[in-house]
Amino acid sequence: MNSISRAVMIAITLSALQPVGALAEQRKVAAGADFGDYIVTAAPIYKQLAELRGEERFPAGARLLLVHNGKSEPLVPEFAASVDADVSFDGLWVMFAGKKNAGDPWQIWEVNLQDRKVRSVVATKTDAVRPLYLPGGRLVWAQRTANGFELESTEDARRREAPALNPTAGPGITPLTYIRGNAFPTGVLRDGRIMFEAGFPFDAAATPEIYLVYADGSGVESYRCDHGRGRWGARQLASGDVVFTHGSELGRFSSPFAHESQIAAPAAQYAGSVAETVAGAWLLSTRQAGQSHYAINLWNPKPVSGAQIAKLVPVLAVTGVDLVDPVLVGTRARPNRHPSGLHPWNYANLLALDARISRDGTLRETPAEVRVEVQDANGRAAVAGKAPVEQDGSFYVRVPGDRPIRFSLLDKKGIVLRQERGWFWARGGEQRYCTGCHAGPERGSENRVPAVLMRSTTPTDLTDLKMILSPTRGGQ
Amino acid sequence: MIVLLSHYGWRRVFAAALAGSGALLLGIVLPMVIRPAQAERRSTNEDFVNYASPLELLFSPDGSRLYVLCQQSQQVRVLDASSFALIKNIAVGGVPRGIALSSKGDRLYVTNSWDDTVSAIDTGALDVVATWHVGAEPSGIVADPNAAHLFVANRVSDDVAVLNAQTGEEEKRLAGGRGTSYLTLAPDGGKIYATHIYPNPSSRRTGLENRTAPESEISVIDAKRATVMDRIPLHSIAGVFHLAFSRDGRLGVVVEYHPKNLVPLAHLEHGGAFAYTITLFGTMVGKPVEVPLDELDRYASQPFGVAISYDSSRMYITLGGSDAVLAIDVRRLLNFVNARPRPASGSYAADLSASSNYVIARIPVGHNPRGLALSADGRRLLVANRLDDTISVIDTNTLRVSATVELNRQEPVNVLRRGEQTFYSAHYSFQGQIGCSSCHIDSTFDGLTWDLEPDGFGVDIVDNRLLEDLRGTEPFKWNGGNPNIPTECGPRTEKYFWRSENYDDLTLSDLTVYVRTMRLRPNRWRLPNGELTAAQERGKAIFERSVDRFGKPITVENQCSYCHSGPKGTSQKSFDVGTRKATDESGLFDTPQLANVAMTAPYLHDGSARTMEEIWTIFNPADKHGRTNDLTKDELNDLVEYLRTR
Repeated sequence: MNSISRAVMIAITLSALQPVGALAEQRKVAAGADFGDYIVTAAPIYKQLAELRGEERFPAGARLLLVHNGKSEPLVPEFAASVDADVSFDGLWVMFAGKKNAGDPWQIWEVNLQDRKVRSVVATKTDAVRPLYLPGGRLVWAQRTANGFELESTEDARRREAPALNPTAGPGITPLTYIRGNAFPTGVLRDGRIMFEAGFPFDAAATPEIYLVYADGSGVESYRCDHGRGRWGARQLASGDVVFTHGSELGRFSSPFAHESQIAAPAAQYAGSVAETVAGAWLLSTRQAGQSHYAINLWNPKPVSGAQIAKLVPVLAVTGVDLVDPVLVGTRARPNRHPSGLHPWNYANLLALDARISRDGTLRETPAEVRVEVQDANGRAAVAGKAPVEQDGSFYVRVPGDRPIRFSLLDKKGIVLRQERGWFWARGGEQRYCTGCHAGPERGSENRVPAVLMRSTTPTDLTDLKMILSPTRGGQ
Repeated sequence: MIVLLSHYGWRRVFAAALAGSGALLLGIVLPMVIRPAQAERRSTNEDFVNYASPLELLFSPDGSRLYVLCQQSQQVRVLDASSFALIKNIAVGGVPRGIALSSKGDRLYVTNSWDDTVSAIDTGALDVVATWHVGAEPSGIVADPNAAHLFVANRVSDDVAVLNAQTGEEEKRLAGGRGTSYLTLAPDGGKIYATHIYPNPSSRRTGLENRTAPESEISVIDAKRATVMDRIPLHSIAGVFHLAFSRDGRLGVVVEYHPKNLVPLAHLEHGGAFAYTITLFGTMVGKPVEVPLDELDRYASQPFGVAISYDSSRMYITLGGSDAVLAIDVRRLLNFVNARPRPASGSYAADLSASSNYVIARIPVGHNPRGLALSADGRRLLVANRLDDTISVIDTNTLRVSATVELNRQEPVNVLRRGEQTFYSAHYSFQGQIGCSSCHIDSTFDGLTWDLEPDGFGVDIVDNRLLEDLRGTEPFKWNGGNPNIPTECGPRTEKYFWRSENYDDLTLSDLTVYVRTMRLRPNRWRLPNGELTAAQERGKAIFERSVDRFGKPITVENQCSYCHSGPKGTSQKSFDVGTRKATDESGLFDTPQLANVAMTAPYLHDGSARTMEEIWTIFNPADKHGRTNDLTKDELNDLVEYLRTR
């Protein structure tokens, strides 16, 4: 489909995006639930998770609708397409990804909810989507690059004279992810970390998973390590819990648990993130079996009585259109700002306290060495070097920063005892330790000096670029 | 003025008072003020305010009275246990810390930690009838069931004093752990359990004391014979607080800090700085076992008080840094520790998901909750919120705060109080893991050395220092890198300790004022008249000398009094005293102040000297840390004796 015919289709389809027919009754049903204005994304076609495969989520276009007193209207009518609304902490602004013209790439914009004036926030030559406000006047979004969509962050351009240009190459832009693959921010935790979704393992894009990263790109890790079915659409609730979907079910991460908890919710297909109202109810995008499109429903997660769960209450539906990504309009708690402690280095120092420890089972044999691999510019694995592993399982290495890396534990004969399933990264200037290799966030450190630091406080330097240019030899 | 506050409104308070105490009480309870329990009242008048600062609570044996130990106002407030109406304020001594009743309930004993005394109160007349001298910084206290002895934990002299319960005469001292502070009488009255807040010094020299996990203990005392009969080791623990038993005595529990001071403090997630734990002991668990209170994304910061319900079904723990009370299901807890093979270490502290097996509620209360007490019927759990002068009343059925008793309704929150609230709060750190007071226990220190991240992993290991009387001791940090407290507590703390957004400037100012005004506790090595003993005089002469015992001049910079000059014992400059280790990036270290130096072991920048003597006998081979190698052992002892008076 060329861009002109696609634009026509968008115009025709979106002209019908006003609530119609039976919707009047649906709004009446939900009238008792006063959760104020909200914004949804309306699209004739919504391809869930398509973006993780590098495809377009809304191939027939999409438009943000502002719903006020049950009536919806386009949030930015002058835009050919608009998606990914995020409301500022003071409730006065909405940042979104939009296309002024149908043939434009997705760009980041911001609209004032009072005067509806729109300004450009991030202007680039490639797609920029999923913007989120960060504390401290910053924002994060997903930028299409040669490696896929990467998270990037910058100061809010509101204070700039001109919008940021080509942020990947521009000053003041901080890339937060350093993998080959697609990553999209979904929310900011109250502790300041950014939740994002990407494939697990990184680079394989096999299963959608939820990850965390600090606002300076350091500290990347899975939210939990009970990897299994795909998870996406993660959003933090007022309680601190994180709710997400598997598509046909909702799941939850709670602070006490190392694994997800199932949510007893009505049988439905769930499109993604929930929006929690002040009263604790959830706005959800769902569709029933046999239905072809998603609609917005309200659901109270508290059981009605005993094990009986509440029913979905229809809020907004549009014939022939998917309504997804509900976002409430109003003030909300500002997350904590992350004070970056990165040092001015182009390398990172990584300390493993006991590489034998893993959720996959503790290694009985203490590895002799750790091999560090780095992905080169073409995505090929290159050996950065090896470092000794101490008897207590500790090792200490200096690795290139801001590059995909992975570890393999080797025995005395050089045979791989265990290898990471995917790539990860450490930021330049980052100093970090891990308790084990894939030990999981539930595993705290033992209070002892790792033997490697008793031997030397200088890490084994594996940043020699000549070595890194050598492709991996032999098996893994 | 005593005010009963309610989260459920005036009518419920009225009904509760009517049902619980009869209509006559209403006249005492009134006037009531209903407000949200956490509402903040900021003062514009920053004059000194004599806050109550409730620390410990105790019901009378018949359950009719509540004794509230108020640390700052230095009182015991006697309240009606039903209406919380004030019956009497009883003035006690300086900075009271512990409270106990005689077995008959006719005497109430209070330790006055800065006066080194015990106040004996007649609970009939509600008057102090005697004041007895004890050891240095008396803290916890219990009376034996035979009314023969009082046992007093002395924090600074690290021991338990045994007093004649009738005369107050001290009969003996029992060695406790370092910073002996809290005592608990076993339900059968036969044993007393003593805990301590600083880790014990290593008993033998290995050269790696400062890189070895801390060790603490529970000292078990035979109450009848007044002898130490056992010591239960608490491995990797530094900071042990209250201890409690089930009514049948088969389950004991103690709350504690499990620091991660040997691991580089690179981040806080996954328990990076502390695990907060309890150790269970007794016949219900067999060998002692340590279990954590934390969660993956939320910490149980700075546990202090603990109680077990009378039916042994619940355990309650106050979290001084998290402003909350944890409720634990004891049956589930016992199932967790008994139904599976235990780790060889006897500790589950590294498993942040463990608490999901037994913690059933986390109940928000006021600022810095400390002591707690269960009512006789077990239906109410009272919690002393030290830093907002309130008592939270928790309904043990619903596990919610049903009312808040306000002890000082008229008093505004001034700068010092806001600063102290900030100091003791863990809310500013990543996921609420640590506050200033996690390492500066009761505004002092923790006796540990830490591997801070900015300098590199395993590099520049630093000893934690006492905070008292800091004015005029700048700069801070062992490398002298921070010129003042706002720098120390502001950007540096945010980036390398909290790892999360710091307080605003106003709160930082409040904190700075609080830290700068921390008083110096009394020095216990000085004579009451301020004069020095003969040995201390000799030591003073050595400290100030300019020629050695052979008559050779000592260069100015090698005289003790040159670097340790002025009233605080610091020239506020850095020097190389020959103590640099291979892991130190520089040999220049800030000159530490000498205030109360006797209680701040270990010594030197990295805590490598266990005692003051070792500073010179082991770590001063080239006389770079003052000319001392000419001194005899006796002369060195004299020097140490003098330093203890600083």
